Amino acid sequence: MTDDTPDDGSIETDGGHATEELPAGEDHDDHGLPPMSSVKRWFLTTNHKDIGILYIGTALFFLVFGGILALLMRIQLWAPRAPGEGLLGPLAYNQAVSAHGLLMVFWFISPFAFGFANYVVPLQIGAKDLAFPRLNALSYWLYLFSGLLFGVSFFQKATFSGGWTMYAPLNIPAYTPEVGATTAILALVMFVASVTVSSVNFLTTMHRWRAEDLRLRDLPLFSSSILLTVWMMLFAFAALLAALIVLSADRLLGTTYFVTQEGGSLLWAHLFWFFGHPEVYIVFFPALGVMAEVFQTFTGKRIVGRKWFVAAMVLVALQSFVVWMHHMFLTAINLQIKTLFMATTIGISLPFDLMVFALIYTLIKGRIRFTTPFLFSFGALLLFIIGGITGVFLGAVVLDYEFRGTYWVVAHFHYVMVGGATALFGALYYWYPKITGKMYDEFLGKVHFALYFVGFNLLYFPMFLAWQTPRRVFDYNPAYTPWHRLATIGGFILAVSFLVMFYNLYRSLQTGADADDNPWEYSSTAEWAISSPPPLENFPGLPSYKGGKLNFVSKVTGGATDGGEVTDGGTAVATAAGAGHGTAAATAHEEEHASHASFWPFLLSLAGFLTFVGVSGINKGGLYTPLAAVGGLGVAGSLVGMAREPFTVPSPELAEKWPFDGVEDMKLGMWIFLASDVVLFGAFIGSYLFMRVAEGWRNWHHLIPADHVVMPGLINTYLLLTSSFAVVLAMVAAERGSNKGVVASLVATLALGIGFLINKGIEWQHLFHVHSEAFPEGWELSTNIASSTFYLTTGLHGAHVIVGLLITLYMIPRAWRGAYSGNDKPIEYFGLYWHFVDIVWLFLFPLFYIL
Amino acid sequence: MASTKLYTAIYVVLFVFATVQALVEEAGWLGGSDTLYWAAFAVIIVLSLIKAVIVAGYYQHLKWEPRSVSYVIGTGLIAALALTIAAAYSIT
Repeated sequence: MTDDTPDDGSIETDGGHATEELPAGEDHDDHGLPPMSSVKRWFLTTNHKDIGILYIGTALFFLVFGGILALLMRIQLWAPRAPGEGLLGPLAYNQAVSAHGLLMVFWFISPFAFGFANYVVPLQIGAKDLAFPRLNALSYWLYLFSGLLFGVSFFQKATFSGGWTMYAPLNIPAYTPEVGATTAILALVMFVASVTVSSVNFLTTMHRWRAEDLRLRDLPLFSSSILLTVWMMLFAFAALLAALIVLSADRLLGTTYFVTQEGGSLLWAHLFWFFGHPEVYIVFFPALGVMAEVFQTFTGKRIVGRKWFVAAMVLVALQSFVVWMHHMFLTAINLQIKTLFMATTIGISLPFDLMVFALIYTLIKGRIRFTTPFLFSFGALLLFIIGGITGVFLGAVVLDYEFRGTYWVVAHFHYVMVGGATALFGALYYWYPKITGKMYDEFLGKVHFALYFVGFNLLYFPMFLAWQTPRRVFDYNPAYTPWHRLATIGGFILAVSFLVMFYNLYRSLQTGADADDNPWEYSSTAEWAISSPPPLENFPGLPSYKGGKLNFVSKVTGGATDGGEVTDGGTAVATAAGAGHGTAAATAHEEEHASHASFWPFLLSLAGFLTFVGVSGINKGGLYTPLAAVGGLGVAGSLVGMAREPFTVPSPELAEKWPFDGVEDMKLGMWIFLASDVVLFGAFIGSYLFMRVAEGWRNWHHLIPADHVVMPGLINTYLLLTSSFAVVLAMVAAERGSNKGVVASLVATLALGIGFLINKGIEWQHLFHVHSEAFPEGWELSTNIASSTFYLTTGLHGAHVIVGLLITLYMIPRAWRGAYSGNDKPIEYFGLYWHFVDIVWLFLFPLFYIL
Repeated sequence: MASTKLYTAIYVVLFVFATVQALVEEAGWLGGSDTLYWAAFAVIIVLSLIKAVIVAGYYQHLKWEPRSVSYVIGTGLIAALALTIAAAYSIT
């Protein structure tokens, strides 16, 4: 026992530990969900623990998928080969390299971490579920179908083969003409949709569903790491979405962003790496959280310098957005900016140093138990240290000139990224007893670790030694053959280690010993205070951290305790006297029955999948067009079905909501989504400005026909401003209970929005068909970069208008039936979106029509 | 929350500002010297910024929400500006 452990055996770290006898759980039924043994359950469930399991299982499937591609590459690299020799042809090798990177980075590592986040975070923060359970299921299904879409791309001649960074101009059809390459891009678009939905959900939950008195700073370290990860995801993935939409337009609509000589390929690099560097931390932070959590549990020691550890994570999350150009030192960006980004890169290594030292010092101060989760977490720390140190070389401009594009980079980022994944495998063992109720086999776990660690280092360390091998090329200097052979052997040992893992997990599920609620002596977070596995709604009462330790405010039936009141026959919730900052006094009431099942997220994602398959080859005709149409109808139908489905999600009354007290869940979710949309439009507008600077700001006018005048833009500004005013009037009418007023205002909004689109349609038609000396063939999307930026940016805005109008169309009949009379909330939420669309136009109008 | 009168006044201001932006173009400043162009540029962009703040503050009720909501949106805006400004500077 360490000096941090109180006499009663409880530990006060990370929100504390339940020390009293837990009240009996009340979760006798599964609220209409079929049992876990039923396949149907897994299509219906919206419960965070089920979704977590689905994420983990699916991510492991993509690990195997990406891993097999890696083994194929390693076989090819057994000896230097000329094109046509060996197992893989040149295009097949390029596909394997690209798909391996994309699958591992997007479809394995982060979703694997979010499987644990889904399962564990609500338990750690004392929530019954995520704030929007159906959106959580939707995130999962979008993720799965996006991965399947990527799989489909292999069967459309070829998947994307231009490397996982998808650099321009390799990403345009001239170099990657296959339909499958477009499908791979669309799969990423679908994946980003999943990530955005998930980010909104986690942020709303973690900010508004924390148990009473659980302050943000006191979150368990895994939850802290997830919170910061999700904030980074929200903004970073929006920039990637912008890049992917532009790329899809270049491939499908003929816009010319990335083929433009001045700035085209640099634009891709900026957009991609503005996402890509935070992505490194998005991948690594959950692993860091696991390491901290596991180190605490298996050393029996609270992490040294905890508040500095958290502060360092916050700092890294912020700094991650100002280092992206260190990936671009070999491009034509100027020396001043390179120097600046070299400095910011050195800067970001400092808080990481602090975290690494905190972890090491925790080991020194505690008493280590060498369990499998610990071994993986400790191994991850060692690997990350090597990955971090070798990365410093790449952050220095001069050294990067030498190392860029070589196996040094490959080795470095595998030590970082797969180093992170190492901790996540530790997480799998750590939470396996909680998730399954069974103990894993410790001996097999250690065998897995030994094979894994040896295989990993045999695979990746020789890459440092053979660093002069050019990246993504299978022909290399024969002098490096021994190192590459060693790496191939290491790759196969690593693969075998996973066979041991899968066997262990499967076998333990069948015959493993039953796990206690808390199988670890010094675990200190709330998930260990409840049964293994936990009941559907997690807790036997309302979790509260009042007094510095986890307690459950009892629910009583048939008698009042602690000032609680009895409702007639229902469940009474004890009143929390003196609720602190950010809490609402929980009054006794009959508890609402939470819903846990919906088929719509699955159907919506399936329809989205069909739509994207159709869109991928829409220029080819054939079955693609009808498939896109059927998918689109399915998407619309599923959205209506989801909106109409009765689905109850009781928001916790007794919860810590700082810093969003008074902003209800739905409204906060909408604001968070809009923040990501700010980055999406910001990246679009930024792309326009960047390309215009590259062209020469005032030269730009030569790319625009004289017929492109201010008036259509001004008329649309008037129409949109008036429609915004109409939405405000709808809200006022709803407040006053005027049904007719609501309907009239919404109809006005609809009419004005349609007017906006008609005006835009007329303008576009005119511009498409201008005949002037400078533009004899009209001014179309592919005419030049000015037309591309104009049509695509205003087109994206137009798409937002169409979405808004569809929502209005849905709301008008409901308003007619009095749904908003005296209830202006739904109109207010819609208004947030509609006014945002208005604000975007307020900038598009001057930028594209006046300046 | 604001009164209908205030909402209406805001609508009128937004309408007028948009018109002024078009009139600046109509006045031919943007075809003039660099100094005149960038002065007109500044006027037009500042008017757009004011309009955006008014819509967000009053129509979206940010004025009455906790400041933290504004910070969330502000963070997105800063991220987009950082990308745009640094990227544009990198090729100067």
